[in-house]
Parts: sequence; C-alpha cells; structure tokens
Amino acid sequence: MNKKRKVTGMIKYVFVGLVGVAMITPFYWLISASLMTLQEFLSVPPKWIPSDPQWHNYVEVFKHVPFLNYYFNSFVVAILSTVMVLLTSAMGGYAFAKLNFIGKKLLFKFTLSTMMFPAFLFLIPNFYIITKFGWTSNYLALVMPFAVSAYGIFLLRQFIMGIPSDLIDAAKIDGASQFAIFFRIIIPLTQPALATLAILSFIGQWNNFLWPLIITSFSPELTTVPVGLSKLSLAFSTYTNQNLILAGTVLEIAPVVALFLYLQRYYIKGIVLTGFGGI
Amino acid sequence: MKIPMKSSRRENLAAYVFLSPILLFFAIFFAFAVGFSVWISFREWDMLISPLDAVFVGPSNYVVLFSDPLFVSSLVNTVIYAFSTTIAVVILSLLIAVALNNLRYSAVWRFIYFAPVVTPAVAIGIIWSYLYNPSRGIVNEVLGWLGIPAHNWLTDPHYALMAIIIVAVWAGMGASILIFTAGLRAIPQSYYEAARIDGATKVKMFFSITLPLIKPTTLFLSVTGMIGAWQVFDLIYIMGTNAPASSVQVISLYIYKTAFVNLQMGSASAAAMILFAIVLVTTLFTLGIFRKGGIESYE
Repeated sequence: MNKKRKVTGMIKYVFVGLVGVAMITPFYWLISASLMTLQEFLSVPPKWIPSDPQWHNYVEVFKHVPFLNYYFNSFVVAILSTVMVLLTSAMGGYAFAKLNFIGKKLLFKFTLSTMMFPAFLFLIPNFYIITKFGWTSNYLALVMPFAVSAYGIFLLRQFIMGIPSDLIDAAKIDGASQFAIFFRIIIPLTQPALATLAILSFIGQWNNFLWPLIITSFSPELTTVPVGLSKLSLAFSTYTNQNLILAGTVLEIAPVVALFLYLQRYYIKGIVLTGFGGI
Repeated sequence: MKIPMKSSRRENLAAYVFLSPILLFFAIFFAFAVGFSVWISFREWDMLISPLDAVFVGPSNYVVLFSDPLFVSSLVNTVIYAFSTTIAVVILSLLIAVALNNLRYSAVWRFIYFAPVVTPAVAIGIIWSYLYNPSRGIVNEVLGWLGIPAHNWLTDPHYALMAIIIVAVWAGMGASILIFTAGLRAIPQSYYEAARIDGATKVKMFFSITLPLIKPTTLFLSVTGMIGAWQVFDLIYIMGTNAPASSVQVISLYIYKTAFVNLQMGSASAAAMILFAIVLVTTLFTLGIFRKGGIESYE
C-alpha cells in the first residue's frame, strides 16, 4: 500500500516535471538564442548555450529597426485603451449594479450578448467607420474600437453589487449627488476589481495583433511591437540579423511578464472569476 | 429577497448619463457595424467606392464561398483546429491540475504553466517557428535523441496544422489549469476520505468523485475554449506562412486576406457571417448546458 502510494507519487512528479520542462524550454531557448552570435545561432546541430553572451544584441535591435517607436506606440495604445475601458466599465457597472432605470434588464442582456459576436465581424465596418471619422493615421484608430468592453462592464457590475447599498443610501441622505457617490464611494471601494480589469486590459491590448496589423498597413507610423516583430520575422529569409529578432521578442514579452509577476494575484482573480484569459 | 425599488426620474437620468458613452459606443461600433456587415455581405464592394454605390448581388457571395476550395479547406481546418485544440487542452489541463493539487511548490509549477498565457501570441509564433526549423531547430534535435526522424514541421502539409495545434495547446493550458484548480478546491475533502476508508484507489476516486463533480468546469472550459479556437488568427498568421494555404489556412485568415489583401469586402463579410453563425451556435449550446447545470450566476 505504502509502496504503491510512493509509485503514484513518483509518476505524478515525473509527469508534472516533464510537462514543466516542455513549458520552460522554449523560453529558455529564446533568451539563450537572443544572446548568440549569428554564426552560433545558425549552427547545425543547434547550440543550447551561447559561448560568449552578446548583450549588445539588445542594443543593436534599437539601431536596426525603429523598435523605440514600436514600444512607444504599444505603450500609448495599451495605456489609453485601458484608461477608457476602466472608466466606461466602472460607469456602466455602477449603473447596472446600483441604479434602477427603465430598460435596465434589456440593456444588460444586450451588453452581454455583444460578447458573442466574433471580432472578425467588425473588421470591415470598423475600418470603414475609422476612415469616415478621419482617424486612420492617429492613435484613435487603435484605441476607439476597444474603448468599451462588455466583459469589463460585467466584471465591475458583479463587484459593485457586493458593495452595501446602505453606504450609498447614507450618502444620499447627506445630500450627495450621483456623481459624488460614484467618484467618492464607488471608485475607491472598487479598486481591487479595477486593478484586475486594468491588468487584463493592458495585457490584452499589448498583445493585440489583428486590428493593429490592419490599421498599420495603411499607417505604418502607428506600428506596435507585435506588428513590427511579425513583419521582421516574416521577412526573414532576406534579413541578415535573424538573432536580433529574438532579442526583440524578449523585449516584447518583458513588459507583460513583469506586469503579470507584479500584479499576479489580480490577474489570476480575473481569470478564475470569469474563466477568460483576456478580453 | 430583493424588493424592487421604484425608479425615480432623477435616478433614470443619472443612469442614462452614466451609460451614455457605452450606448454611443454600441450604437457605432456594434449596431451600425453589424448592420453594415450584413448589408455588405449581399453586395460587391472594394472599399474604393462609397458603400452606397456597391452593387447588390443577392446571396451569391455566400454561394460562391462554398464553391471556393480554399474557403472549404479553411472551414475544415478551422473545425480540426478548434476540436483538437479544445479537447487536448481540457484533458491535459485537468490531468495536470489534479497532479498539481496538494503537490509541493504548486504555486511555482502553476506559474511555469501559466507563462505562455500572458505571452503575446506573436512572440509564441516566432519562438516556435525557430524551434520547428528542420535543420537547426531544437524540436527535431530532441526528437532525434529519442530516435524519431526529423520532419519539416511547418512546411509539410501533412504536419503543419498539427504542429500549430501542439503550440496552441502548449500556450493555452495555463489558464485552464488555473480554473480547474479552483474547481478542484471546491470539492469537499470528506468525499475523498470516505472513499479512502472504503479502500478506493486513486484512479477509482478520479473517475467516481473528481470527474463528475468537476463537470461544470469542464463544460465551461470546453465551450469558452471552443469559441476562442474558432477565431484563431495570430498563431496561424505567423506559423502558417510556409505551408500550402489549403493545409493550414483557417476562416479568420481567409476573411482577413479576402478583405484587406484582395479588397473583396462582400465575400469577406459573408465569410464573417458564417463564422458568426458557428460561434453563435456554440454559445447558445453552452447557455443551454449552463441552464441545465443550474449555473444562473450570469443573470
């Protein structure tokens, strides 16, 4: 019996360990290869460890491609859309959670139902709308289609419903307006949920690829990190500094992994609460 | 029991002020957009003329799609991708979550499995394109140690889609493991203790206690996974460029190319409507299951 339990325990560790190695190896290889010279990188059979780490690969990336631009664009877009999503989600979440109004049930159902529509249905109409508004060549093109998130409204509504209504009633008796209640009571008490939504939204936008791909094919000056890297990597055969792309890839991953490590518990709460990895 | 409060005029006004940015957004980027898609899917439009001048062609965009072998193969590939990715992710992550439960350093393990979830799909695609390189990629190298012959993973039409599915499973497991772990923790330990006293084996406990009690989570992950998988784009865009299109292309890529490379907005919109129909059927199917399973928390 005891022996048998030990054996199952061993199998468990071997299984978890083997899959764990498979999970980590690609990341290990990425970092290792990003520090190789081109010769080492191209060697057959592949090398696992750079003989002399080429840290300057990370500097070269910035020299050979407008990586700083990509970085700046990605940050602006991710931050702007996160701020918009936080604001609109908090406003919508509050209205749906604590206010009584005509059409509430219907509007809430409608909001949830918009989540069923695949992003691909909106590519063409959104592109048309953006051109009509004359936004094609500025950040609004990348931010506005993501300014409202049904998921975010839902998440905050669930959270705000948990705030005792007594607090709001007490403030009302003291003569506070709806806006004072929203900014002085709701927003401060909703901070954990806002943090969850902020990190989900930032990572979602940082990693967003398809929409920026379309917009930047018309306005290359708006190129974000994923789009810039994809262009470089697909133009590979002709590119002589292939190992630099890997340094770029490390730089693409770094901000989101750092953010995730820093705000891990909020991120995980969002995933477990709703079951989705992104927005 | 909540007593519905009568809504006052002021409260109505306040609510609609709070909702106004959202309603404006939905009016433009949702209602108008969906209507526009439907309208264009029955017309021929190249985006260079006004959509109002687009020629009405009836349902022919839809009909033509099904006579386009590339669309049909995209549809087939999407179905293969969605089912194999979802099934593999659910089974593997359940097994891993069970193995991780009560294991030492489980938080560290979970982080390791979770890393690909936050990593941009583009980065994952780039990394794996190198790993799959036939001569200097480490995939063939490692398989070589095990005596498995080398393949041209991403260029051979027989292997390309499978190779991408493996990456999607690798990248997607982390989130499901996390949700399964939460589900496993909700199962009362007393059930397992009772079973242990009765002399049940671990395998028996897994099939008679864990599996039935974790069923709502399994269903939820299967369907949300499926809805995401129908729309896969990034990985295929990055990793599928060197294989024949008929062997790896999925609907989303078909829509993208038809619209923004060939400027055939009509047929692209028709294809998007078909993708929407697939997602809608999947979602309604899920909601049905949720209602039956008594999950009403979304109301």
